[in-house]
Amino acid sequence: MKKTRDDVLVGVVIVAGLVLAVVGSLWLARGGLSKGYPLYARFAWGAGLKTGAPVWVSGATVGYVSDVNFEPDGTLLTELRITGSQPVPKKSPATVVPNGIFGDVAVNFTPLRSGAKYVAGDTVVSGPPTAGIAQLTAKADSITTSVASLTSAMNKELVADGGLADLRSTLAGTNKLIAQLSAIAVVQSTQLTATMTSLRRATSAVDSAKIDSTLSNLRTASGNVTSLTRSLDSTGRTLNQIVAKVDSGNGSAAKLVNDPALYNDVHSLLGRMDSLLADIKKNPKRYINVKVF
Amino acid sequence: MRIIDSVSGSFSRIGERGHFAADIVRALPDWRTYGAETVRQMRNIGVGSVPLTIIVAAFIGAVTAFQTRYQLFGGVQLSVVGLISRQSVILELGPLLTALVLTGRVGARITAELGTMRVTEQIDALETLAYDPIAYLVVPRVIAAIIMLPILTIFADGVGVGMAFLTSIVATDILPSDFIAGLQLAFAPFQIVYSLIKGTVFGAAIAFFCSYEGYNANAGAEGVGRSTATAVVITSVAILILDALTAALLAPYLQG
Repeated sequence: MKKTRDDVLVGVVIVAGLVLAVVGSLWLARGGLSKGYPLYARFAWGAGLKTGAPVWVSGATVGYVSDVNFEPDGTLLTELRITGSQPVPKKSPATVVPNGIFGDVAVNFTPLRSGAKYVAGDTVVSGPPTAGIAQLTAKADSITTSVASLTSAMNKELVADGGLADLRSTLAGTNKLIAQLSAIAVVQSTQLTATMTSLRRATSAVDSAKIDSTLSNLRTASGNVTSLTRSLDSTGRTLNQIVAKVDSGNGSAAKLVNDPALYNDVHSLLGRMDSLLADIKKNPKRYINVKVF
Repeated sequence: MRIIDSVSGSFSRIGERGHFAADIVRALPDWRTYGAETVRQMRNIGVGSVPLTIIVAAFIGAVTAFQTRYQLFGGVQLSVVGLISRQSVILELGPLLTALVLTGRVGARITAELGTMRVTEQIDALETLAYDPIAYLVVPRVIAAIIMLPILTIFADGVGVGMAFLTSIVATDILPSDFIAGLQLAFAPFQIVYSLIKGTVFGAAIAFFCSYEGYNANAGAEGVGRSTATAVVITSVAILILDALTAALLAPYLQG
């Protein structure tokens, strides 16, 4: 009887252990006994995918990565096991996204409004890769390198080449200049105050009646200037009319100016007068005969 | 001269254990002798150790989850606790601490039993009656340990992970979904096989070293006590060495 009891106990413990191992493995590996349905996606090499990585639809877990196969065409053929019968809208792109800061990744579907849904065995649309920790680290490295070279350059310019000493010297000079300017400003301020005082005194000394009279005279003079301007304007207009008449050729003056015959006559007359004058100078007695007695 | 004696003594002890292992292998075909006794030893070693294994594993899981949670710095996703708890318990702490604890409970008992039989000449009596004492006393214990240690390791793994889960959601700010997400991340079924391989190796080590020390005990009750202490120490060290060797050999295949 004891022997039978031992057999039963040992058998129960062994079976329980084996069942626990099998069920536990299944649950850990595929999230339960339900097999779900597979979808397939292709991602570029280096996506960092591993089996067990979660599959999300807008962040909600709907499955896990059940297999990752290396393909020689530069892609990873990935099997996504969607647990249960959870729907994934058709044409929704799947993207490999970072999951935490240790380089873990997940596959995330960005759902598109669509009546249809992916069915078992479909190859899903792969979205563009997102920047992962490696890229961010590389960018941080490059920033660090830039900062290091900047620091090195500043160290060279400011410390090694005496830039800092120059800067200090410039600052000291500037301080001295500011001090001098302050002293000048103090002196100028004193003088300005004195000037203002004198001005106020002079202003108060001015007789307001005289100023009024002067202003009245100025107004009168201004009125006279206005009247003069009007007269000049009228004169200008009259002159313009005369000039216009001269230009038009009417009247004696216009003819004198515009008639070539008259010009020629006058020219000839002047010529003859010249000859006459020359002859008078030469033979004055011919023309001037003075007899006193 | 003393150094030469010491070195030759070490080789001699290794050789004696080699002979002992060969005797065990030689006795394996004689299953009629050890068959019934094996079931009884499986009950003693396996069934009798289930409560202790569960208690140890529960505390291992709880402490692992608790320590892991409070080692995380800001920004790390909390699902890491599930991942680290699973890897720690299944790959290392479950099999190793179960084996070390059972070295005290099972190994010491094997050594004491066989040692007592040796000093009270019961083993000599068996030889006189034409029984093979190795087949009757040692082989059942070795087989029982080889079978039951992996089973106990499975219990330890399950209870450890379960207790880590409970501790995380009850005593820390981790959500069940976070813990489960980490628990399932990058899992490969070979991780369970790895744990079972460790359990098998450790079970064989416990039974073998403790049986050897008991089988070769002498000098009365004091000798039995000395043999028991020696067996526990040697077995514990052997388990740690085997743990390192197993990890070195099999860890590359663990990647999920």
